[in-house]
Amino acid sequence: MNNSWKSYDAGPFFDELITGSGQARVAARRVVKLLQSLSDEDMASRRAAAELAIREMGISFTIYSEGRNIDRAWPFDIIPRVIPARDWASVSLGLAQRSRALNCFIDDIYNKQSILAAGIVPAEFVLDSGNYKPQCAGVSPRYGAWAHVCGTDLVRDKNGKFYVLEDNLRVPSGVSYMLENREITKRVLPELFENYSIQPVDDYPSKLHSTLASLSPRMLRRPCIVVLTPGIYNSAYFEHAFLAQRMGAELVEGSDLFVGEDNCVYMRTVDGPVRVDVVYRRIDDEFLDREVFREDSTLGVPGIMRAWKAGHVAIANAPGAGVADDKVVYAFVPQMIHYYLNEKPLLASVKTYLCVNQRDREYVLANLDKLVVKPANESGGYGLMVGPHATKAKRAEFAKLIEQNPRNYIAQPTLALSTAPTYIDGTVAPRHLDLRPFILQGKETWVTPGGLTRVALAKGSLVVNSSQGGGSKDTWIVESNR
Amino acid sequence: MTMLSRVADRLFWMARYLERAEDTSRLVHAYTHLVMDIPKGSEPGWDILVRILDAETNYAEHYRVYNEHHVMKFLIADQDNVSGILRSIRAARENVRTTRDVLPSEIWEHVNELYLYAQETAEKCIGRRNRYQFLETVIERCQMINGMVISTLPRGHAYRFIKLGHLLERADMTTRVIDVGAAALLGDERLRSTVDPLIWASLLKSLSAMGAYRREIGPQVEAGAMVDFVLRESTLPRSVKFCLNGIRKELLPLSNNKDALRLVNKARRKLSLFDPQLCSREELHIFIDQLQLILTRLYGSIDRTWFMKDQK
Repeated sequence: MNNSWKSYDAGPFFDELITGSGQARVAARRVVKLLQSLSDEDMASRRAAAELAIREMGISFTIYSEGRNIDRAWPFDIIPRVIPARDWASVSLGLAQRSRALNCFIDDIYNKQSILAAGIVPAEFVLDSGNYKPQCAGVSPRYGAWAHVCGTDLVRDKNGKFYVLEDNLRVPSGVSYMLENREITKRVLPELFENYSIQPVDDYPSKLHSTLASLSPRMLRRPCIVVLTPGIYNSAYFEHAFLAQRMGAELVEGSDLFVGEDNCVYMRTVDGPVRVDVVYRRIDDEFLDREVFREDSTLGVPGIMRAWKAGHVAIANAPGAGVADDKVVYAFVPQMIHYYLNEKPLLASVKTYLCVNQRDREYVLANLDKLVVKPANESGGYGLMVGPHATKAKRAEFAKLIEQNPRNYIAQPTLALSTAPTYIDGTVAPRHLDLRPFILQGKETWVTPGGLTRVALAKGSLVVNSSQGGGSKDTWIVESNR
Repeated sequence: MTMLSRVADRLFWMARYLERAEDTSRLVHAYTHLVMDIPKGSEPGWDILVRILDAETNYAEHYRVYNEHHVMKFLIADQDNVSGILRSIRAARENVRTTRDVLPSEIWEHVNELYLYAQETAEKCIGRRNRYQFLETVIERCQMINGMVISTLPRGHAYRFIKLGHLLERADMTTRVIDVGAAALLGDERLRSTVDPLIWASLLKSLSAMGAYRREIGPQVEAGAMVDFVLRESTLPRSVKFCLNGIRKELLPLSNNKDALRLVNKARRKLSLFDPQLCSREELHIFIDQLQLILTRLYGSIDRTWFMKDQK
């Protein structure tokens, strides 16, 4: 018996596996029971087995540090996170609803702009955003879908209620790790799967494939789909290769593609040029096409925007989709759901203060020690300040930044993020986590069962990003009959 | 299903580097074994290995003298030596890492494991004590990866370009072994009848051809017969003839193969007209030179036709 379970105490936070009175939650009972029965040596050897599997499977991510790229083994915690299927069902509906509304919004912004005309979202918040791409105006992708793949970050408060923290609509990553985490758990803790009915995650690549295929401009039985990667030095290269392989699609770099005089996209092959129908691009808008965006980009495909506008190629996610990814725009998602779908939001959003509004700004500046301040359009956890954990100097620095460029900052209350038992230095201890499910939007909407759970490995930390020392957990949606 | 030119290029080089790692390991293994049999003073010297790999310039940039320790460090553990074992494995891995999507996942896992193994152990295996173990592991794992390619990869472009890379590298290595072996032995006026057969035998071993030679020709290793055997025995997987026939077979189904086929047929014709049993050392050297030139041009043709990036 592993002793650290006895003294396990998540304190004031909602714990995913253990109740306040120290009992295992119903859905997690068998997981906890099994893990408690393992000796210290056994836990250590399971963990070692997981590390070995990660190394052998070559699951890695790349970080850029001190001027060079380092390929790091994927950080994984062997204790799974368990969510009852009943709880998940409503979250899943909420995510689908949100994705539909966000896509309506993007399509509206690049076409009629009715939501701006109606005064529901202030036009300057949208049109002055760096994420709004005027080059995309007037384009109508099929099904009105722009953000075909959305990674939405969820957190739970001290009562276990789910909140949306942010939507990633540009090139969200992490889904391959969701799949690999399940693989590793199957290898390392196979006995856990015996008595559980866990919703499988394996079919994501085939769902992604059918979503992408449904976008093809040519009606072919097998349209040509490619995954466009910036290359081996990108932090998510592993994932790009993984998805291409699982979908049976070509993994291409910008230099593998060219746009012909007929405004169609071609790839260079051993049999000569072959026309491409759908580009699942994992390159940011800014680098996609040097004819339209950054002129110094060598990663993209010159002319691809021409081909896209002519309707000769589908691009997922569509260029410009990031306009709904702005954290200022985030504050208006509940209104969008009302406006476009005439529905009530099923998922809660976190109270968001827009520093661009004077009243909000005054509140933020007076309460920096209680709030989390985020730049409006950064991702990866860069450039944010967690007020209660920040030094005085850091807070002063952010006060100055906010005053200089209020449009670029938002603030939210510091959430009491939920925790889960995490195996740290030979003991089991509570660590904070979030959850990133993925939502696919093509002809239909589809939500992953669960998603990628990221866990802050440092005690008390709320920063879960793998680029900043975060780890991950396998996430189970389990059927339980109470 | 077609294949990206860039991917074909990388698969081709993955195969070449794996073959190079294996061949160099065989060469070092056979030579280490040989050195122990030869009376002190009459061994050809460790520089022969560097010369076989045409790496003298690179070697001279890092080391001054040709002794066992330096040559072994250079061939086994040097990170900058493109003909070295560690560097070849690393390059093979980089090429697989960027083509994982077209290969069965076990191939990546095994190439990656081989890399991790080499990275960790190479430095410790320069000395004779651990050297065998290291070389044998590398050879074994390369063969395992080859086996996976043969038993799991569909016979499409991926397989074809991997095969081309293997065969071209192998043909190249076999011609090098013969050329330098001949230079080291036949060029010397001194009579070393007791030592020569040992050296020829070790070269045969480095080509995994000793057993086949014994069965086909006999236990006595003799220069002319040995050269003929590894150049022209069509059933021997490391003979030049076998490699050229294999290359031709893989080229046939490709589009735009005219130029490459012409070159490979030229090499095959040259080979069948040449009789190693009747030629002088000088003639052998000239012949090998010409053969290598055709192999280089063949690579150029493959590169231009299928890997080029400037198609429009």
